[in-house]
Formats: sequence, C-alpha cells, structure tokens
Amino acid sequence: MSYIGSDILARELKKGSAELLILSLVEDQPRHGYDIGNLIEQRSGGVLRFNVASLYPLLYRLERRGWIQGRWVEQAGLRRRRYYKLTAEGKKVLAAQRNTWREFVEAIGRITGTENA
Amino acid sequence: MPDWQGEVRRRLAGLRLKPTRETEIVEELSQHLEDRYEHALRGGASREEAYRAAVQELTESDLLAQGLSRVERPARLEPVVPGTPRRFGMLGDLKHDLRYGVRMLWKNKGFTAVAVVALALGIGANSAIFSVVNTVLLRPLPYREPGRLVMVWEDDTKHGFPNDTPAAANYIDWRDQNQVFEGMAAMADQSFNLTGAGDPERIDGKRVNASLFELLGVAPQHGRAFAAEEDRPGANKVVILSHALWQRRFGSDAGVVGRSLTLNGESHTVVGVMPVGFQFPDREAELYVPIAFTQQEAASRGRHYLEVVARLKPGVTLEQARAEMSTIAARLQQQYPEQNTELGASVEPLHEHLVGDIRPALLVLLGAVGFVLLVACANVANLLLARAAVRQKEIALRTALGASRMRLVRQFLTESVLLAVLGGVVGLLLSVWGVTILKSFIPENISQVKAIAVDARVLGFTVLVTLLTGLVFGLAPALQASRFNLNETLKEGGRDAASARGGNRVRGLLVVAEVAVSLVLLVGAGLLINSFLRLRSVDPGFRTDNLLTMSVVLPQQKYPDHTRRTAFYTDMIRRVEALPGVRSAGVTNWIPLVRQGDSIGVTVEGQPVPVPGQGKLPILMTRVVSPHYFGTMGIQVLQGRVFEEGKDRVDSPCVLVIGETVARKFWPGESAVGKRIAPGTPKSPEDWCQIVGVVRDVKQLELVAEPKPQAYLSYAQAGFFAPRFLVVSTEGDPLALADAVRKTVWEVDQDQPVSNVNTMEGVLSESIARQRFTTLLLGVFAGVALVLAAVGIYGVMSYSMAQRTREIGIRMALGAQQRDVLKLAVGQGLKLVALGVGLGLLGALALTRLMSSLLFNVSATDPATLVVISLVLIAVALLASYIPARRAAKVDPLIALRYE
Repeated sequence: MSYIGSDILARELKKGSAELLILSLVEDQPRHGYDIGNLIEQRSGGVLRFNVASLYPLLYRLERRGWIQGRWVEQAGLRRRRYYKLTAEGKKVLAAQRNTWREFVEAIGRITGTENA
Repeated sequence: MPDWQGEVRRRLAGLRLKPTRETEIVEELSQHLEDRYEHALRGGASREEAYRAAVQELTESDLLAQGLSRVERPARLEPVVPGTPRRFGMLGDLKHDLRYGVRMLWKNKGFTAVAVVALALGIGANSAIFSVVNTVLLRPLPYREPGRLVMVWEDDTKHGFPNDTPAAANYIDWRDQNQVFEGMAAMADQSFNLTGAGDPERIDGKRVNASLFELLGVAPQHGRAFAAEEDRPGANKVVILSHALWQRRFGSDAGVVGRSLTLNGESHTVVGVMPVGFQFPDREAELYVPIAFTQQEAASRGRHYLEVVARLKPGVTLEQARAEMSTIAARLQQQYPEQNTELGASVEPLHEHLVGDIRPALLVLLGAVGFVLLVACANVANLLLARAAVRQKEIALRTALGASRMRLVRQFLTESVLLAVLGGVVGLLLSVWGVTILKSFIPENISQVKAIAVDARVLGFTVLVTLLTGLVFGLAPALQASRFNLNETLKEGGRDAASARGGNRVRGLLVVAEVAVSLVLLVGAGLLINSFLRLRSVDPGFRTDNLLTMSVVLPQQKYPDHTRRTAFYTDMIRRVEALPGVRSAGVTNWIPLVRQGDSIGVTVEGQPVPVPGQGKLPILMTRVVSPHYFGTMGIQVLQGRVFEEGKDRVDSPCVLVIGETVARKFWPGESAVGKRIAPGTPKSPEDWCQIVGVVRDVKQLELVAEPKPQAYLSYAQAGFFAPRFLVVSTEGDPLALADAVRKTVWEVDQDQPVSNVNTMEGVLSESIARQRFTTLLLGVFAGVALVLAAVGIYGVMSYSMAQRTREIGIRMALGAQQRDVLKLAVGQGLKLVALGVGLGLLGALALTRLMSSLLFNVSATDPATLVVISLVLIAVALLASYIPARRAAKVDPLIALRYE
C-alpha cells in the first residue's frame, strides 16, 4: 500500500513541477527538446525522467500559452533543431512559480520536519 | 537508420492536424528519437539496444496522441469538397459556400453583370413603387390618432353628389346635436391678395375653425393656434402662416409672429407658423384665418362650400357615427324641407378620403412591378440553369466525393441568394434614384407626396424581396443541378443528354411563364394606353391650343360692388385684346377642368315648380362670362347668339346662353331660344332671364364624366358670381405673352395679383395627370418585362440551337435546306411562345378586371387590345428565336458534324 502511495505522490509532484523545471532550464539560454529532457534526467540524478510522449505536449502547451517560444535553428552540417527560449511573459510566470514552489517546500518542510535533513 | 519519422507519424494519424503543423512535430520528435538513438550507440549499446531505448520514449504511444490532442487543435481542413465534411455544421458550410459563391460570380463576370442588372431593375422598381405605397397608403397620417379622424359630408346622391360640401347652418346643427364626435371643425377655401411687402401676390388659404389644430393634434411651430374668441365675427384679424409661405416670403424669420400683414386690404396679425409639411386635408394652404361665421352665413343652408372634419369619440365606431348623422340629417330634412330636401349626411374615414382615388392605381402598379420581378427571376433562373449545365462536371465530381443532394442545393441557393443580394443593393440605389423621378411626375394632389422617401420599412421590404427573389430564381436551377445521373455524366465526359433534356424542359417552362406574365403586363399597359388615348381624344367642347389662362381675382374690400368689378374687367379685357399677338380675351368665374365650379338651382318656365320637401329645382352649372369668352374658347354656338358688349348691360333685360343638354332636356324638338329661365324661384317678372343662344356642351369639371346641364350668364348682368379667370387666345406661343398680359393687368390696378398662369393645354394635361402617371409607369414596366422576356427567349433558343448543332449538321448533310432548319428552330420557339400567350391571355382575363376602375371607355377584356398585344408579343418572340435559328441554319454541316 505504502509503495503505491509514494508512487502516486511522485507522479503528481512530477506533473506539478514539470512546468517550473522546463521554464528554469530555458531561462538562461535557448535549448532544444532533447537537451531539456537530458538535463532534467541528469540533474535530478535520474529521479525525474520525461520521455517524448510527456515532454513535447508540455512544451507545446507552454509555447501556446506564450511562456516559451520555439524557433528552428539551422547549424552547418547538422539537421535543424527547434530551440525554445523563455519569453517576457514566461519570465514573470517563472518568478511567480519559483516563489510558490519555495513557499510550498518550506511549508512542507516545517510540517514534515525534513527541512534540515 | 530506423525510420523515426514513420514511427512518429503513425502515432499522430488520429489527431488530424494541419499538414504543416504535423510535419513540424514529426520532424522535431524524430530528431529527439535520433538523438536518443545515437546517444545510446555512443554509450556502447548495440543498434538493437539503442533502437529499443529510443522507441521506449514512444511507449504508451497513445499517451503522446492524448497529450498532443489536448494542446494541438485539429486542422480545419481546406474544404475542397463541400458535402463530405459533415462535421463542420451549417455555419461553417455557409461561410465556405459564400466564399465559393463569390469566387464563382467573380469568375463569370459577364453572367453576373447581366443577372445583377435584371434583378436590380426588378428589385429597384419594386422598392420605388413600394416606397410610394408605403407613404401614401400605409404610413399613418401625421395627425394625433389619425384613425379616429373622419370627413363629414352632405349626402346629395340624388343630384350626383354623394360627398358634397356642407352648408354652414347644417354643419352647426350637426356639431351641436351629435353625440358621437369628440370635436368637429369646418374650413373653407379662400384666396387672399397679400400686398404691401414686395409684389402683390395671390395666396391660396383657408378659413378654419379655431378648434381645427387642436382637433388634428398639430400645434404651430412658432407662436400659437387660434383662440376660440378669435373665431367670431368682429374679432381681431389674425393669421397663421404655413411653413412654406413663412420660408418663401418671410425668410424663415421667427420674429414674424406678432407682425401685421395686409390680406385683401385688411390688416391681420400673425399669431403662428405651422410646422413643415403640415397640410390638411390634402392641398397645401399657405395661410389660415379663423372662419368666424357671420350671422347670415351661420343661418345659410343654401350655400354649400365647407369641408368638415371630425374626431370620433373613443370607442365609437364608424357605423355608429353614420347612423347618428343620418338621424340628425333626417331631422333637419323635416325641419327645413325647402333647403334640405333629400339631403343626408355621410361619414368618410379621413384616410379613405385622401387615398381612395389613388389606391387602385397604386395597387395595380405594385402588382405590376411584382410581375416584372417575376420575369426577371425567370430570366436569371434560365441563366443559372444554362450555367448549371456547364457546371455538371463540377457537380459530378462533388457528388462522387460524397456531397449529398441537400448539400448541393444549399450551395446553389447560397450562390443565387448572393446574386440576389448584389441585385438588391444595386436595386436599392436605383430605387432611391427612382423615387426622386417618381416624385417629380406623381400627381401633386396625392396626399403626402412630398414625404415619399426610402425609409426603414422600404429597406425591410427590399431585404425581404431580395431574399425571396434569390430563393425563387435559385430553387429550380438548384434542384435541377442536383438531380442528375452521376454515372452517365462521368461516362460522357461532362455531357449528359438525359439531364440536358430535363434542363431544357425546365428552361422551356420558364420561358412560357415569362411570356405569360409579360403578356398580362402588356395587356394591362395596353388597356391603360388605350384608355388614355381615348381620354385625350375626348372632345372637351372647347379648343385647347393657343390659349393662355390665369387667375385675376378682385379683392372684395377694394371692389365691393358689381359695377366696379365689371368696370375693371371690361377695361382689362379691352387692353389685353389690344396687345399685339392677342386674338381675343374673355373672363369667366371658372375655366373648365379645374375641378371647381358654381351651380345654381333654376326655375324653368313651363315646367312644374317642385313642392318644397318633395323635390328640388333643376341644377345648372353656371358660368359668368364676358362676350368674347365663347369665341376665345372656341365654344361652338349652335343656335341664336352669345352675349354682346353694350347690348347686354346691367340695366337691360337679363339674358342667358344654355348648353345643348339643357335645351334638349326642357325643349326637346323645339328651339330653346326665346324661352325663359329664372335663377332660384322668381319673385318678380324681372327675375326671369331669356335664352338668347344655345352652345355646345363643355366638359366643365372633368374629361371623364358626361357633361352636366350648364348655362352662361353675362358678367355685366349677374353679380352673384364674380369672374376669377382671364382667358386669352393668342396667335403664337401663349406663354410668350404671359408677361405682357400680366403687365397690362397691372396697368389697370398695380396692386392686383395675377396667379396660376398656364395654358389651356396645361390645364387639360394636369386634369389627367393621374391617368398619365399610371399609364406611363405601367407602360414602362410592361416594356421592361417585354425586353426581359425577349432576352429570355433568345437565351433559351441560342442554348438549344447550340446543343443541337450536331443534329442540325446531320440533317443538313442528309439534304435539309436552310429553310427547313429555320422552320424547325422557329417552330420550337413558337411552340413555347404560343403556350405562354395562351396562359397569359387567361391570366389577363382574370387580372385586368381588377383595374377596370382605372379604365375609360375600354372594357377590361377589350378584344382589340388582347389581339394586338398578343401579336406584338408573338412578333417579338419570333424575332428573338429567329436570330439564333438563322445562325444555326448557316452552320457548315462539316463543322457541325465535327462539333465536340
């Protein structure tokens, strides 16, 4: 029972944080989809993984909302790739989400006592 | 390398994305998979393992579709094939159909132009006539609760005047005794000589009861209405100006209120100015003064000159009012048997009084333009049918791709309504222009003519007519186009004999209908033209050429007695006759055909005098004239002599000239000269007047009616009617002398106004303005219908001949002569026309009865008109089918056989 419980929690957490993760990754420089997926996996030490089926719908949704903007970039000798960069509106959303996330984590920490762990 | 694109594309198939977007996504995602694959390879994995790692990204493949479907919108397919994509719904279809329709119309500019012109003519004519009907017949009169306003008349049916103008004493009794009216007001025409400021001017005004404006519910724009105490004899003289007079003569100066005017030599204070457009009941009076009956006037039952308007009490019906007024009239008959014998009272709704005469004409015109529109519709339907035949390949393709019949009908109807809307817009512009033209020759005495305009109701009418039109002419082609054999059409590469034959049948029927409707219109126009010609050729009993007429009315104040008036007129006539270019001149109280006159009851010597209460004196229309009037007017003297200057003086025995009808009536078979007649009932021997001459009857009031009994008195002898008109016979153009004559009048009296300068031709022409208006319009409409029908026949015959080129070629190759081909083709056209004429004649017989009230001396089923019109139509139709037939007959058989 406890196993299923933590699994559900992980999935919901992943869903809830995915937007924040993507926005954070394209904050400093434009990145393409594969790069974003890789970075999430590497930096989370394999805890978080997005495959094609979950990553791209998310990217398209953020793009449609106007938070990120995709652009095809051609590079000599390589096939063209689509790079996503953060828009002005995306920057505001990212700041807000970061804030919310921090408050959330702090609150959870205070309650569960994991803050100083 | 694995086919990543295929992998991805397969998983997106269900989403129906826009192709460009799908390509993008496929490219991006397969790039990702390839990156993953190569990454795995670089990490030392085998190709097999790397492939699995990459594809794993796509596991839960429906997850990808699901995720994407939440973000990506399905494409609106470029709808190449209307009909198949049912799921777009009506609105989407409509938008597409409209776009497609516009494209089709733009592509066929010639066709579109022809159709739009035909429709614009039809719709424009309808809107223009409807705007007249709307204003004159439908729009409520500009008074408070106009439905309760009625006119009350004396009913003197016995003498041919069912709606006669009441006498003052009768009016006063009606007013005081009735219980059905909230109020009653009387008015009487009066002309005024306005002098002092600027040229002396003759102005038509009205004496009215002070209560009139309140009764109508119209207040003056400036100043005030009359006060009750101003409506009494001896009260201060006051006047209210019409808006037109105020603008024209006083430069719209509101300060005019309170100022004094000299009217008929008396000073009047202006108390008010009426608002623009106020006219009651129909003719526009330029000023109003209180009627202020004198005691003598108020007691008179013998002089009938008032117009009386009344307002029904709320809840009182017309019938109740009629019953009440009849009761009162019957009581007055008993009370005053001498004057009121056989005199009833009639109540007529105001609206009826104003538009009763013109209503039949307007309704006939409205019907006629409706017919014109039908013919236009048939024509456009024919064009569309011909085009639908050309478009069969397109239709076949659509049907093959799954378009339903309903869907095709809708597409076609959208196109035709679009066409109709174009026609409607152009038509509306035409109608705005047409209304301006209509207004310029619509008879002026029709109520509210000046207010005719294209308003919201006309717009609504036009929109409705336009949409209906689109549906009417679009339905046949739409159904026709949608009903054909797909297999046959595709097999024959776009030519389908069976459906072409069906199309020809519909086209033939449309031509038959066009011919039939045109015939009805032409017959209607023919009947009206026929009546109008007969009306114009009616002998009025006088000459109309080279006659100048004008009003010279002497003011009572300046010329109070008969002697002074006679002296003025005698002097004036002498001076005018001395002008170069003038043959002769005369004066009369009323010239013919101005629809006004004076009559008196007379006693005829030797005839029984009616007992009071049981009969009335015979009535004679009476004209008071100068000696040269007869010669000037060309009135033929049948017996005896006319008046002579110096012989028939005021102090010599009274003499009389009578019309032939009077002579025949009282002295049949013997000479009337020497017999005696007395105006009224003779009290002394001097009251008798001896008949010295008999002249031809003159149509005094209108051309249409039989002449009434009439008599002439000498202006030197009869003081009770003063002359009002001067008639001058000229050698050349009458109007060229108008200025000289006017100046001559001013030589006699420099303050004497001269008005209504016209020619006798003009007077006669104005008296039949309504008939001319109706005839002209119906003639124009019938002409348009005829042209449209001819174009329709021509179109159908050309198309049919073009289709039969091959057949004709074979016939000619087998030895047929040009003549035979012509016969074949013209025969085909003739069959359609004959059928149309037959149906049209039936329709004409049924419909022209409705216009019999507009006809004069012509039966609504006049055989000559029917035959002539049918022949004209057949001739035009023959010509219209002969031209394409000749072209077909001239074709080279070799070329014809190679055709297609």
